[in-house]
Amino acid sequence: MTSSSSSKKLVPDQPEISGSTTKSLRTKMIKSEDSEKRILNKKLKDVEISLPIVYGNISFWLGKKASEYQSHKWTVYVRGASNEDLGVVVKRAVFQLHSSFNNPTRVLESPPFEVSEAGWGEFEIAITLYFHSDVCDKPLNLYHHLKLYPEDESGPMSTKKPVVVESYDEVVFPEPSEGFLARVQNHPAVTLPRLPAGFTLPPPVPVEDAIRKKRGDTKDHPLSQWFMNFSEADELLQLAAARQQVQAHIAKLRRQISVVDGPHQQQLKSLSDQ
Amino acid sequence: MDAKDILGLPKNSLPQEKKPRPQKDSQRKPDGISREVYALTGGLAPLMPAIDASQLKKRPPTDEKITWQWLPFTSSARKDNLQLYHWTRVVNSVPPTGDYSFAKYNKSVDVVKYTDEEYEKYLTDPMWTKEETDQLFDLCQRFDLRFIVIADRFPSSRTVEELKDRYYSVSRAMLIARAPSPGDVSGHPLVKEPYNVSQEIERKRALCMVLSQTKHQERKDAEVLAEAKRIAESRMVTRVAEESELPVPSNAAPESAERTSVPGDTVSPSSNVQLPSAAVAPSTATADNASTLASLRMLRVYLRTYALEQMVQAASSSAGLRTIKRVEQTLQELGVNLKPRVPTKLVCAEHLELRKEILTLLNLQKQLQYKEAEGSSFRDGSYADTPGTPKDRTFVPDMSFGGERVGKRDQKRKAPGRLSEAPSSPAQSKRPRKFKASDL
Repeated sequence: MTSSSSSKKLVPDQPEISGSTTKSLRTKMIKSEDSEKRILNKKLKDVEISLPIVYGNISFWLGKKASEYQSHKWTVYVRGASNEDLGVVVKRAVFQLHSSFNNPTRVLESPPFEVSEAGWGEFEIAITLYFHSDVCDKPLNLYHHLKLYPEDESGPMSTKKPVVVESYDEVVFPEPSEGFLARVQNHPAVTLPRLPAGFTLPPPVPVEDAIRKKRGDTKDHPLSQWFMNFSEADELLQLAAARQQVQAHIAKLRRQISVVDGPHQQQLKSLSDQ
Repeated sequence: MDAKDILGLPKNSLPQEKKPRPQKDSQRKPDGISREVYALTGGLAPLMPAIDASQLKKRPPTDEKITWQWLPFTSSARKDNLQLYHWTRVVNSVPPTGDYSFAKYNKSVDVVKYTDEEYEKYLTDPMWTKEETDQLFDLCQRFDLRFIVIADRFPSSRTVEELKDRYYSVSRAMLIARAPSPGDVSGHPLVKEPYNVSQEIERKRALCMVLSQTKHQERKDAEVLAEAKRIAESRMVTRVAEESELPVPSNAAPESAERTSVPGDTVSPSSNVQLPSAAVAPSTATADNASTLASLRMLRVYLRTYALEQMVQAASSSAGLRTIKRVEQTLQELGVNLKPRVPTKLVCAEHLELRKEILTLLNLQKQLQYKEAEGSSFRDGSYADTPGTPKDRTFVPDMSFGGERVGKRDQKRKAPGRLSEAPSSPAQSKRPRKFKASDL
């Protein structure tokens, strides 16, 4: 008689002699599933998964078609930094618009995570990202200030050239579960460090609604021509040059300090001798 | 009346005119003193009238005849029967009786008196002759245990602590010797807490140190204490976070705890104190970093920019607002974005390291300035003359990336005299020198 309670212990493989084979098999399966889940839920330290994203807005002036309350049409979005499909990590994105909009809380259950609207005013949009259950049960907030009007107000407004404001950031999961890691191991949207040698992952378990008809990447997005390029190379060069300069000056100062200290010690000695 | 005409107000009828006056009288309240004098008290009656106003104008009862006479008097406070004279208030030809009114203030200390036998029995001491001890006790009696005066008057030179030690140990020994049983006097403060010479010397020396601390020292001490507090707090954080793999904070904490006790009680010269604070800084930095990392890990998900902010804050936790502003200024002048435009992991790490290096640079610049200041003032021999100088100099951010400028100052100092930032021009020294692009 096997107890069908949800004990998490691994049941050793023993053939059941009694007639209730099906039941015992089923319980065995449940138990092994539980143990799998436990393994998948195990958290990994020193392996962090980061998801590079870009979020912002593109806004077009409506020109002749502009009315008093709708002078611009704009789209606010969160996309992968290399336009990859974020749906593998992000389950849902919620955009909180200004209360003057109809249904200001816009929920997007699948990528591309964007909201297009028409309006006249600039305001802060709160974007909340919800992740799949094996990724993280806590949502993450981003804030973006909607920009409709160009910086240079003197230039002529054009319906062809939009105002684009994008911010690059990375969503970091410091201790991802093995299941999450297994699932996204080779996905282009995420960045993984090299796994420790001899590290084996369990086979990936697909998450709910992983099968989608619509493609989630934004590579051929209608607005993709306006997307900005974020390359870390320039910034790294800048930083490296700056660091070099600072280090050189530090070395110089250290030398100078030791020079000052030298005669200083002698003076102290001469004073005490008096 | 005319005023009322001018104002156009209706004239008061006669009965109305009379009313205000009695009202005014009752408001006045004081009778016996003039209105102006009463107004000095605030114009209102006090809650508890200290002096009944009516008493103020009272004259002494006319049945008493008061004269003032120049009469002799004696005081019980004097032992020499000196007779002095003073004005005495004589009432009805009866001079006042009683002791001189100030005699009761003649208090003195009960200094213990020992006989020669007692001295031989209990009080001999290799460091003190009987003669000296007698002299000491005589002075103590005369000067009511004012040891500073006694030390000054003492024929042979002895420190205040030595005199106090001798006096208290003799008194204590006498107390114990004369007591019927030791239990009787065990509660006496002399017996319970004997005078501790070495402790007193240390205490006074420490007080002297604290008193003569320069502003520079004070700030260093405050810094060290603040860092120690921060380390203690970060230890609390890591304990709460249950991170067992962070040996750094626990290592740093006892180190800094030891070092904070150094400026507190003991005699360490100023250079010693500087070293610990410099050594504590890096260990605090790593402690801060470690605790920030721990708290980030607790979050389960966070943005890279948020993490960078936290790390930057942790790294600059020991720096003041001005220093932080200077770091940002330096970043801008180096052409680096204050917030990286592409905050990848690598970029953020580099950015953080750059900020830390700039902090080190600024600290070194400050150090160099101090060393030069100390050097020159030693040469002058007028160390006490320039108490304000270190204070002034802290706020001169020498942004010169070129060592040349610092070198020039060295050369100027060949002449004995003041630095270019001498207090004679405090306004100048407080203005920060502009960083020139040509210095890059």
